[in-house]
Formats: sequence, C-alpha cells, structure tokens
Amino acid sequence: MRLPTDFYKIWAFAARSFLVNRRNVFAIFEMLFWPGVAIFSVGLLTRFLQLDPETVTFILIGAVSMNTIQIAQLDLSYALLYSVWAKSLKHEFMAPVGLTHILLGAGLVGLIRGFAVFVLMGFLCMWLFDMDLGPPGTWGLIIFLAGMFMNAGIIGALVLALVLRFGQRAEVAAWAFSYLMLLLCGLYYPVSILPPGVRELAQIIPLTYFLEYFRHFYGFPAPSPHPLLYGFSQSVVYLCLCYALVQYTLRAAKQRGTLLRLSE
Amino acid sequence: MEPAIFAEAISKSFKTGFFGPRKQVLQEVNLEVAPGAIFGILGPNGAGKTTFISILATLLRPDAGQARVLGLDAVKDAGRLRERVNLAASGAHFLWCLTVEENLKFYGRLYGLGGQALATKVGELLDLFDLQPQRRVTFERLSTGLKQRLALAKALINTPELLFLDEPTTGLDPEMARHIREEILRLNRETGLTILLTTHNLREAEMLCGEVAFLKEGRLLARGTMPQLQERLGLGDRLSLFFRDGVPDLDFARLPGVLTYNLQEQRVDLRVDRAEERLAAILEAVSRSASRVVQVRLREVDLAEIYHEITH
Repeated sequence: MRLPTDFYKIWAFAARSFLVNRRNVFAIFEMLFWPGVAIFSVGLLTRFLQLDPETVTFILIGAVSMNTIQIAQLDLSYALLYSVWAKSLKHEFMAPVGLTHILLGAGLVGLIRGFAVFVLMGFLCMWLFDMDLGPPGTWGLIIFLAGMFMNAGIIGALVLALVLRFGQRAEVAAWAFSYLMLLLCGLYYPVSILPPGVRELAQIIPLTYFLEYFRHFYGFPAPSPHPLLYGFSQSVVYLCLCYALVQYTLRAAKQRGTLLRLSE
Repeated sequence: MEPAIFAEAISKSFKTGFFGPRKQVLQEVNLEVAPGAIFGILGPNGAGKTTFISILATLLRPDAGQARVLGLDAVKDAGRLRERVNLAASGAHFLWCLTVEENLKFYGRLYGLGGQALATKVGELLDLFDLQPQRRVTFERLSTGLKQRLALAKALINTPELLFLDEPTTGLDPEMARHIREEILRLNRETGLTILLTTHNLREAEMLCGEVAFLKEGRLLARGTMPQLQERLGLGDRLSLFFRDGVPDLDFARLPGVLTYNLQEQRVDLRVDRAEERLAAILEAVSRSASRVVQVRLREVDLAEIYHEITH
C-alpha cells in the first residue's frame, strides 16, 4: 500500500458507491422500507403472541441483525455489480487497482449504511416495542456490530467471487447468501431447535456465535463456551479464504475472458 | 530503442460452452510496434483483434507466448504496466448515473490521482474534448458521440505512454468519427503517445496509422505501411468505366491513383487509390479520348477483398 495513492483508489470506490446510493431512490428504499417492514411485522407478531420482554428482544435482535448484514453486504456485492451493469468492468480492471481497494472502498460505504440501519432499527425497537439495548453496554454493542460487519464482508466477498465467475446471474446470490446464512444461524430461534445435521452447519457460521454472545446479556445462556473466540476466529479465517477465492476468480476471469464478456 | 510493444507467438483459445471444444482465437501472433507510432490492426469481426489488444492491456492472459509492453511483461508486471497504459473501446460504457466529471474523477482516483492534481487533470480533459458544457450531465443522457469523447478523455486520465484504442469510431456518425480521428492524430503528434488501434475501417487505418497489420482468424497475415501494402496487394477502390464505342487506347496505368487495370470489351476495371478523390481527374483524362463514357461504377475496397488478396 502506498499512501495517499492507495487512499485515493479506495476512496474512488467509496465515493462511487456513495454517489450511486445518493442518486438511487431505491437505495434509500432499501435502507428504510425493508428494515421498517421487518421490525413492524416481527414486532407486532411478538406483541400478538404476548411474549415476555426478553424473548421479544431475542427475536427483534434477529430482525435487526438480518437487515444490518443485508444492507452492509449489498454495498460490497454492488462494487462489481455496478460495473457489470454499466458494462465498464474492463475499465476498472484496466486501472492499477487491487481487490483490497475495491473491498475497502465499497466496504466502507456498506459499513456506514449498515450502521445507519442498525441505529434506525434499534431506535424503532426501543421506541415501539420496548426493546432494551442497555444490558450489552457500549462495548457489547460495538463487538456485536463488528461481528455483523465481518459476516457482511464474508457474504459480500463471496458474491464478488460469484459475479466474477457468473456475471449478472450472480445478482440473486447477493440476497440469497445472506438469507441462507441467517436461516442457519438461529436468527429468530436458538440453534438448538434446528434438526440434527443442520445444527452442525450452524456451528460453522460465525454469526451464530455473535448472536449467542449478544443474547447472553438478556439471560439466554450461550451454548458455546467462548462465543467471541469462535465467532472472530471463524470470521477471520472465512474472510481470508474469501479474499483468496476472489483473487482466484479474478485470475480465472482473465484466463477465461470473463472480464471482457461482462463488459460487452 | 526498445519497442513499445513486443509480442511473440501469442496464442489464445476459449472454451465454447461447459463441455464444448476450445476455439482458437489467436495463433502465434508476433508483433513489434515502435515507440511513438500509431499502429493499426485491421480485421473483420471475430478476427481476434479485441482479444489481442486485451492481452497487451493485461485484461486477458495468453495461453502461450510472451507480451512485453513498454519493457514490462504483460502478465508478470501487469500491475506496474497498468499505471502506464490505458484503453478506450467502441461503445463507451460507464456508470450511467455518474456525471461526466464524476466518471472522470472516479477513474482518476483509480490511477492514484487526488486533490488538486485530479481537479486539474479532469479540467484539462474536459477542455480538450470539449466536454465542459456536459460536465454535470449524467452518462446515460449523453449522445453516442459525447460518450465516445468521454471514453477517450478517460483513456488519457493517467497520461498514458501507450494507448489502446479498440475500434474507437465504430457506431459514430461520419462527422464525429472524423473529429475523433483528428483528436487521435493530434494527441500522437503533440505528445508522442504510442497508439495501438484496431479497426475494420480501411480508410481510418489509412488516415491514422503509419503501419498496419491484417489479422484474420487469429493469424497475422501481412504488415507494412499502407502504401507498401497497397502496392504489394494492389489494394484500392474498384472503378469500372463503361464505354459506348469500346475501350479507348489509353495508358490507364498512368491515370491518377491507378494501381492496376483490367481491359474488357466495353469497359475497363481500374484499381484506384482513393477513387472518390480522383474520379474527376480520371474522367477528365478519359473524356479526352474518342470513346464516350456511358456508365461509371465505383465500389470501395472492402476488407473481404483484401483478405482474399492476402490469402490467395
């Protein structure tokens, strides 16, 4: 990395994501509408079922995580999808930029948007459904957010690899991956109720541990002895693997001519 | 002096479908381009022009062979090479919702420009390509010609030493195409920029390129200056003159621009370099003879004919 040259390269992707988000009414929609729908529908359901406050928090934190991760990973996935849609991919890779620039630049905007969604949904939950974000404390929240953003990074990087391999067809993966992961990691329920086999799959998803960690502040004991250790170490391993995978698919794309096909 | 481009035995094939056979797109292509030259690669669609240029531009890896561009290996030193080259292609495509200025700034940053240096460079390019009035217009609202000008402006954002132009005037109206060609010539003259351009327009190659090479089915068939190739291959427009009273006794070879000729009973078929420009002079010379011209047929030289000439 050579500062400030590298800073400008990272900023290029961040500024582009920011401009596209600002001009795209659906990007605002993504941030407000779907998270809003999720909170209201899940929150009203908990009210109808007359659940106790701890269980309400247990479920609502699932809804908050799902939307935060979804929004944060989208910016990363869009980093290349914008170029694919614009058919400008070859111009981006013609420039002396590396994956690190793309991931950090687009990831920065994802982080900001994800954080905004988290704050917005947190307030909605506290205001409308009496969810209490106090027990975890500031550090608990920061650690939970860091875990969610790492998971968003893993999904985003996986989608980038798929975009480089399959082009626009991978668009659907941007959504599907996160839903699949969220289904397995015990979003609205403890992973202990998952059927055998699937339960083991949940153990290899780092978000499972971050949810366990956060929920233990509300009296739900974490089944794993060291959820943060498992969560962070798995996240780091997956992030490294995903980075290597994207590097590999980029090299393969240059071999197969995918970069050119996606620019036509 | 080290050549700006040195390609040796470049081969490339692509898989057709998941289980399909491989299609050979380039077959042992060799090429050397001197620094400061405008070199043209001519060929029909599917000849392998874009594949070749993409290998040199580090967007594709060759299956075999070696490509050195500006003294750097196009595979091993791709990162360093990309800082010194750039590319503009036909059918300019950039992010639709960014303005002309924002698109240029985006690419400028990708090349490590920022702050005042970026602002100055973008301003210069907007002036150079007469894009100042459209600086705040989004890409999707630009005309085809303006999009192409933006593509050229983008290609100069890093002040490259070598520029790849992949059919830069395809799809443009004749006036805009002429304007772009003049810009390319001016850039080369004023900055000494080496340009490798692909085209299937012979006139364009003639106007811009000091030297050209013909690519067909992945093989480089012939290379040289346009006059050399015209002379060697007898390239030229086909002009047929039909006479009422038989072909007059004229030395057709001495008529302006005539490369070759073929006498028939009532007509003469001439191969003429830029026949459109020389038609008046030819007709004037012929009209001095006793036989009257009753019909004139002019057909511009096309690449298919040239390939036929080269391959047979």
